[in-house]
Amino acid sequence: MTQRSPLYQLHDGLGARFTDFGGWEMPVRYGAVLDEHRAVRNHVGWFDVSHLGRFTCRGAGAVPTLSRLFSNNVDKLEPGRTHYTMMLNENGGVLDDLLIWRWEDDEFWVLPNAANHDMVLAAVAGEPDVEVEDLRPTTVMIAVQGPKGPETLAEIVGGAPKRFGTTRLDIDGDEIAMAGTGYTGERGGELVVPLSRADSIAEQLTSVGAVPCGLAARDTLRLEAGLPLWGQDLDPEHTPLEAGLGFAVDWDHDFVGKTALETQRDNGLARHLVGFRLADRGIPREGYPMRTPDGAEGIVTSGNVSPMIDDAIGMGYLSPIHHRDEIEIEIRGRWVPARRASPPFHR
Amino acid sequence: MDIREDLEYTREHEWIRREDDGSLTVGITDYAQDQLGDVVFVEVRPVETDVTAGDMIAEVESTKSVAEVYSPVAGKILNVNENLMEQPELVNSDPYGDGWFAGIAVDGEIDDSGWLSPEEYKDLTE
Repeated sequence: MTQRSPLYQLHDGLGARFTDFGGWEMPVRYGAVLDEHRAVRNHVGWFDVSHLGRFTCRGAGAVPTLSRLFSNNVDKLEPGRTHYTMMLNENGGVLDDLLIWRWEDDEFWVLPNAANHDMVLAAVAGEPDVEVEDLRPTTVMIAVQGPKGPETLAEIVGGAPKRFGTTRLDIDGDEIAMAGTGYTGERGGELVVPLSRADSIAEQLTSVGAVPCGLAARDTLRLEAGLPLWGQDLDPEHTPLEAGLGFAVDWDHDFVGKTALETQRDNGLARHLVGFRLADRGIPREGYPMRTPDGAEGIVTSGNVSPMIDDAIGMGYLSPIHHRDEIEIEIRGRWVPARRASPPFHR
Repeated sequence: MDIREDLEYTREHEWIRREDDGSLTVGITDYAQDQLGDVVFVEVRPVETDVTAGDMIAEVESTKSVAEVYSPVAGKILNVNENLMEQPELVNSDPYGDGWFAGIAVDGEIDDSGWLSPEEYKDLTE
């Protein structure tokens, strides 16, 4: 069954088009995607991301549970901070990439991808001495992103989180939780807001000039920032090492998939995720073949136009035998030249 | 949705205008540009290309997807809208005007049996 954000009516009033994402009917765009994209890069935009997974994990078993289930080490995460982590299978493949917000020694929030919320919640809830509470039925989640993000947040809720920091604010008895995170490469943060306050926060954001943005702009923004999307750039067939996300793996603790990752680390990678910029016209899209002059082959996992540099960009998995920066992408029967490039593509 | 009374249409959401010299001008409809979203790249086949009805004459890429534009008749590409190379957004802002794609010199009699009137096209998009 498709779910709707509690902000659905508000979006409808703003002229939103909707799309299904992870079982949720969410705004894909309000007007032109490129305008929304540029608003976030140059000013500030807001996104309803209520589809994102979120639940609490509390209790004496919280640290051992999250430490064992996820690749990053929650023991090293200070209260008041967030970090990026991965849930892996025994082969080291990515079951989900997610954020952990740590509030207290034994109180965490876990934020999986929308489509993986139930799976991750069930895995955590099945461990001893933890209490979990699903936050999706009682809250909305709003991302405020852009160079003016912090001052916009300060204006609306009276404060802004530090980068990767968390904070809780009280507004007339309602608790607003925030983290200095996002999926655009810009400043700002993500807010978890009780339902009673959802519409008023969204209305205030719009009224102070934050541009309502849909999932289409969110996708071009995250791609331009070089941030991977689970289900495209990350999946159970690829490991965090292959994806170049070794920073989300801490070797100082035991976790599911560690043995496989150690083997891969010691034996070398069969492929890795590379970014590229097209040198000619065309748009690379998911599933298009890639190759290099020295015989490496691969598949594009994400691609689109970069609205800030006006060139097409993308990423994909390539076998690692290439030594030069030239890549070719097959766009509907034509091999188009590209050059390897490191994200963020727009800076 | 804007549907012009002085044009004819196809089921693939192209519009066709009959010019005084007997040639046809082709573009995509307001409905099509709206479904595609922001157009970021257009490639039209070169002038002088021989086409038969149903041949691809252009590719349109948006931030969302790619679409193909087909020739409604057999003939030869007479002229192409070069402005779309630098300003693909014209397809969104003026689909029936500055966002036109190509002119086609018709080969023989026009077979318009599969074309739609404005009313029929309106029914298709509702």
